[in-house]
Amino acid sequence: MSKRTLPRLLQTPAVLLLLMWMLIPLGMTLYFSFIRYVLNSLRRPEWTTPSLSNWRGLGNYEYVLFNAKDFWFAVQNSVFIVVSILIATVILGLALAMLVNRSFPGRGIVRVLLISPFFVMPAVNAVLWINMILDPVLGLNGLAVEGINAVVKSLHNFPVLGSFFSMWPEIVPVSFRATQTSAYAVIMMVTWQWTPFAILIFMTSLQSEDEQQKEAAILDGASAWSRFRNLTIPHLARPIAIVVMIQSIFHLSLYAEIEIVSRGNGNKNLPYLIGEFTSNNIGAASATGIFAVILANIVALFLLRMVGKSLMD
Amino acid sequence: MATVAQESKFSKAFWPILAWVIALIFFFPIFWMIFTSFKTDADAVKPEFLFTFTPTLENYLNMTENYDYWRFAINSVITSSFATIFALVVGVPAAYAMAFNPSRHTKDILLWMLSTKMLPAAAVLYPMTFLTKNFLDIYDTHFLIILVLCLINLPIVIWMLFTYFKEIPKEIIEAGKMDGVSTWGEIKDILIPLAWGGVASTALLCFIFCWNEAYWTVRLTTTEAATLSKLIEGNRAPEGLFFGRLSAVSTAAVGPIIVLGWFCQKQLVRGLTFGAVK
Repeated sequence: MSKRTLPRLLQTPAVLLLLMWMLIPLGMTLYFSFIRYVLNSLRRPEWTTPSLSNWRGLGNYEYVLFNAKDFWFAVQNSVFIVVSILIATVILGLALAMLVNRSFPGRGIVRVLLISPFFVMPAVNAVLWINMILDPVLGLNGLAVEGINAVVKSLHNFPVLGSFFSMWPEIVPVSFRATQTSAYAVIMMVTWQWTPFAILIFMTSLQSEDEQQKEAAILDGASAWSRFRNLTIPHLARPIAIVVMIQSIFHLSLYAEIEIVSRGNGNKNLPYLIGEFTSNNIGAASATGIFAVILANIVALFLLRMVGKSLMD
Repeated sequence: MATVAQESKFSKAFWPILAWVIALIFFFPIFWMIFTSFKTDADAVKPEFLFTFTPTLENYLNMTENYDYWRFAINSVITSSFATIFALVVGVPAAYAMAFNPSRHTKDILLWMLSTKMLPAAAVLYPMTFLTKNFLDIYDTHFLIILVLCLINLPIVIWMLFTYFKEIPKEIIEAGKMDGVSTWGEIKDILIPLAWGGVASTALLCFIFCWNEAYWTVRLTTTEAATLSKLIEGNRAPEGLFFGRLSAVSTAAVGPIIVLGWFCQKQLVRGLTFGAVK
């Protein structure tokens, strides 16, 4: 056996497994996206079995792009949800990483508390938030609003100020089960879960920041803000890019949260739309799937390039 | 720390307090879940028992009756453990070969492996259902879930192991070769003991990801191999009257993993950024 064969042999199982995992299902999706394929059809029973004789060419893509009413909404909503989460997690993550980067009593515990949400399984996260926290009647949301209303009401009888408070309207709790608000609920719960991830990464790279350079800047009389802008932010540019890309890939395929929070209320993203199509129109589901792959790949390309650069050093 | 930095008394006290307050806010939903799990279902929705109530273990004791918790929990343990073991069995030799005998293509192979992770799962939902249900007849089996969990985490496992193995000086492995140690011996007696910490944290992280996976475990199971994700997902309805028992079962589902997570928070960065942030 030559010197080269064995190492190759050792990586073969991994490569083969991943190759199968990628090529077979994706190949099938690609194939289904070009044929007419539905699960139930009384009128055209021949469409219920995948076959080349049902060739539709780009018809499924055309249908999804121009006729399926929810496609563009789903794309728009996917992007809206991802971008909102990104903005919130990066800003919160930066602020909190800076805050925890200094030493103070109980720092270890603070870190543990901040990290914890990341390990909560998505299904529990969604069930917990939508029911126990955001529910307008039984959740903390409802209870808090009720409490505020009660306080305001009790102030009505206050001399002088009472007439001011009685002009206040009674607040109504926001329901997070409508189309638009349930997107906000998803953004909130995912931000809660993924801010720890941003904190961890920013903290790791803050620790490798050049302290001497910072001290020199302090001696030169640079303000805290200009130190942050001119030293810390450039140092964090790369970690920020990585956080943005990795999160984009994860959140573009967000599913459990959407499914639990907004089943049937119209709030959907691409994975959810694919799930809906899959209940009957496989051709459309596959075409939508290919669009989702393209969308994810746009982000993935940049990420891979960045990771590749740091790979061998 | 910086000796030149002169902080006022105010900022010395203010920032740590702020950090504590924010940390407690972040932890609050988890705390609230645990807290509510000790209330009865009736008490859990009554404002007058918001903070004062008689704690009860009823929800935990009835978890089996209410939700058949242990069946799902055992499925989660089985699928996550075996998926982790298989991922290591396939991943360790691959990472070993890539770290110590890199070829021209190693970098490309690694990047390609990573790219499989970026394929949106939903895009291949129907083919997977079709293959496993109509063709291979393994839908809703432990075998299928183990296989899928292993495959989706394999790229991360190989990457993490690769970054750990690369830190081991090549000379040590080479010295083993001189002494006529077999490749298997090299891995077992030299590499694994040296990189033990790295292998352990890779395994831990892989286990956590398997446990929390919520797409395939929900879509490719019905009853037989259903995991905790499926259990919670199935009880997503606005169960106002059951906050107590829902909290208990949720706490039981995430509690052990949160504790495990505390132990590998540092390795998380390596595992999730593929070594790109140091």
